[in-house]
Amino acid sequence: MNTLPAHPQKGQGIPRRALLKIGATAGMTLSAGLLHAPSALWGAEAGQPKRGGILRAWGSDPPHFDPHLTTNAKTHAALSFVHGTLVRHKVGAGIQPGTFIVEPHLAERWEALDDTTYVFHLRQGVKWHNKPPVNGRELVAEDVKFTFDRFLTEKGNPLRYILEAVDKVEVVDRYTVKFLLHEPFVWLVDVLANPLGTWIIPREVVEQFGDLKKPESAIGTGPFLLERYEPNIKTVFKRNPNYFLPDLPWVDGVEWMVVTDPSAALAMYRSGQFDCGPAPWWSVRQEDLESVKKTHPHLLYQDFLSTVSHAIYMRTDQAPFNDVRVRRAISHAVNRQEIIEAVWIKGEQIPAISRGLAEWSPRLDELGAGARYYQYDPKEARRLLAEAGLPKGFKTLLHTTNGTGAGPALVDAAQLAQRALKEVGIETELKIEEYGAYMATTYLGKFEGMVLAPISNAWDPDTVLYGLYAPNQPRNSSHVDDPKITAMLKEQRQTQDREARKKIIFDIQRHIADQQYYVYLYCVGITGSWQPYVKNYAPNSTYDYGYRSASLWLDR
Amino acid sequence: MRQYVLKRLCLVVPTLLLISIIVFSLNHMLPGDVVVLMFEEKAYAKDLDALRAKLGLDRPLYVQYFSWLGDVVQGNLGESLWTKRPVVEEMMRRLPVTFELGAMGIIVALCIALPIGVLSAIRQDTLKDYAARSIAIVGLSVPPFWKATLVIVLPSIWFGWAPPLQFTPFAENPWQHLSQFILPALILGIAPGASLMRLTRALMLEVLRQDYIRTAWSKGMREPRVVLRHALKNAVIPVVTLLGLQIIQIANGTVILETIFGLPGVGRFLVDAMFQRDYTVVQGVILLTSSIIVVVNLLVDMTYAYLDPRIRYQ
Repeated sequence: MNTLPAHPQKGQGIPRRALLKIGATAGMTLSAGLLHAPSALWGAEAGQPKRGGILRAWGSDPPHFDPHLTTNAKTHAALSFVHGTLVRHKVGAGIQPGTFIVEPHLAERWEALDDTTYVFHLRQGVKWHNKPPVNGRELVAEDVKFTFDRFLTEKGNPLRYILEAVDKVEVVDRYTVKFLLHEPFVWLVDVLANPLGTWIIPREVVEQFGDLKKPESAIGTGPFLLERYEPNIKTVFKRNPNYFLPDLPWVDGVEWMVVTDPSAALAMYRSGQFDCGPAPWWSVRQEDLESVKKTHPHLLYQDFLSTVSHAIYMRTDQAPFNDVRVRRAISHAVNRQEIIEAVWIKGEQIPAISRGLAEWSPRLDELGAGARYYQYDPKEARRLLAEAGLPKGFKTLLHTTNGTGAGPALVDAAQLAQRALKEVGIETELKIEEYGAYMATTYLGKFEGMVLAPISNAWDPDTVLYGLYAPNQPRNSSHVDDPKITAMLKEQRQTQDREARKKIIFDIQRHIADQQYYVYLYCVGITGSWQPYVKNYAPNSTYDYGYRSASLWLDR
Repeated sequence: MRQYVLKRLCLVVPTLLLISIIVFSLNHMLPGDVVVLMFEEKAYAKDLDALRAKLGLDRPLYVQYFSWLGDVVQGNLGESLWTKRPVVEEMMRRLPVTFELGAMGIIVALCIALPIGVLSAIRQDTLKDYAARSIAIVGLSVPPFWKATLVIVLPSIWFGWAPPLQFTPFAENPWQHLSQFILPALILGIAPGASLMRLTRALMLEVLRQDYIRTAWSKGMREPRVVLRHALKNAVIPVVTLLGLQIIQIANGTVILETIFGLPGVGRFLVDAMFQRDYTVVQGVILLTSSIIVVVNLLVDMTYAYLDPRIRYQ
């Protein structure tokens, strides 16, 4: 994660306020550069930008359009086309997958007045979509306040925890808002850039519709207008002619198509009916890759590691999982590499943060004493179980779900883990849950026994670690309550210096590896793919399909 | 005839009532709970119990059944638990797609069954007969979803071409709209077409050996007249019965093919509703399709009289 220097650096002899001014100036300069000369940045890679054409892309059917009532990726991916955020992740051909560089967006600059006060200066002249009830009026600070007031107070907002540190948002003037925090939280700007619930929404629309579930209520400041929503078929987005970034979007629209059958989706990609890969993250499934590369060598491919971590999580507040020896035995029992090769074909073993977010993810050999538990060693697993008073093993449940983007492969992985656990005496009954039921119960820690599933998607390390390890967090699926981790989590949230913060985050992951509260398994290898005429595009494991679609152009 | 139709219509009522009980009970016996599924996605209640009460699912099952039945009698199939849209409205939007696919499937089945069945019978034990029967066996044996997958995947590998898989309304582009239905209709019609073809052949062989056919031949009547006018019309009555049953198979086939070919019909609607445990939608769709099948069977019975005036409805 790279961030523009919004935070003052301590101990370098420069006064805090002077540094803030430098940071703000740098932010403005960079944003101005982006606004006025995008082709200068991208030209070398992608040629001259070209207007026009419709992007036909693999998409998904959102359960509804309210960003404050779901964590569902399908909703947030669809909203990325129509909404804007204060800050965003940079996109374009030059962006390496797994890097999430924060840049200005609706806010043209920001500054930290102190550890608990952040001020965002809004870009002037940004217009809401020209649709009733907002009818293209200007975005003002009151809109930002309304958005985050709703975010913090809406009952049932499952994302509430990501901005737990925010106390309130105040309007300073028409174009300035102030975020006041309960406690220092250096990740605020990064979290606001995540395409997950931080979209700025207009008050009038909420008042008119009551909530934002209906497609008609998807009205924002984003690069596209939602023109038509056909359930189970597609969502059609039309270019926003009043988008505040000049020239963008390059395409006239996007057809975000729902094709549930993977073979049909792949056939559409092979035959040119899709412009980008026919699977999540606009990728080609690994099992199809060799064949597609053979028949369609002209397509573009880019390998990268997913930022999603797969893990076994368990009730660490209950026996036998409250015994660290049992958790270590489970870690020794599972053959991670075997599952990667047999099920996912490509991937990498991971610590607590996916190796897909390389900057914040130590290699296994950097994990210290905890690294040993990543070795597949059934004999040592049996020894640890015996030491824990379970020489004959034990029986438990192993939950998983068949409804994530991973599809049935996840069940295959769970079956391999089940077999490996049985070899050391842990008999598990596999419980395959439907995605909705899984998300509502097991994912939020309401289960017995163990679970094997994707556990987190990391665009910044804090959201993942704090959510999964801070006590009483709804995402603390393993029911962890470790004062040492809690203290380190709080410490890193207050540490301005990036290197010092990184050291704490690595230390947290070393301690986690030693304790195995979650038995981390792997992140999956992904191959993004797109047609050669799609320019200025690079894949990444983010839900922000909207800005990537706005920034690319079609040179057919 | 009128008495017969009235009697059949009276039988329709208990049949549909029985169907409604079965559909309602089986639906609620499925593992999984719509309230749990909805809670994370919709989050419009404080907890599971509040959501259950809001949806009226906290009442005893029999109360829910009679409440639903009361609405159905008044022509109201209820609202989707998920989208809150009326089931009838949703069905009306999707039924034309399914009807179109089903009708084209039936036409394909008949186009396969009648000419090939007749040809196979009049050229019995020739190469043409063997070829037609072999193809029929293959058509029957290969499941539609596999045929559909091959039809989509292989041309995309060999020729970089795939059939259009995104639904286009007729009003938007009539040719593209129709071209979307051609392949699924072909696949849908092959299996029932093969069954009907085998039956047509067998019945034609039987009829062609009848005395009145021999008389027709001996009078010097030309082959097309003997085969089509005298033999086929008499052979086709059981074929019509089987066609009535095949329509059910065709209706079932649409469920899978709509999903694979991206057609927004009732089949796909039903599949999604079942996964989401959208009870009112599942009940409404099955009740309506059952009613259609009952009516189709009634029409099949009534067609007998046209084809064979000797049949009387006593």
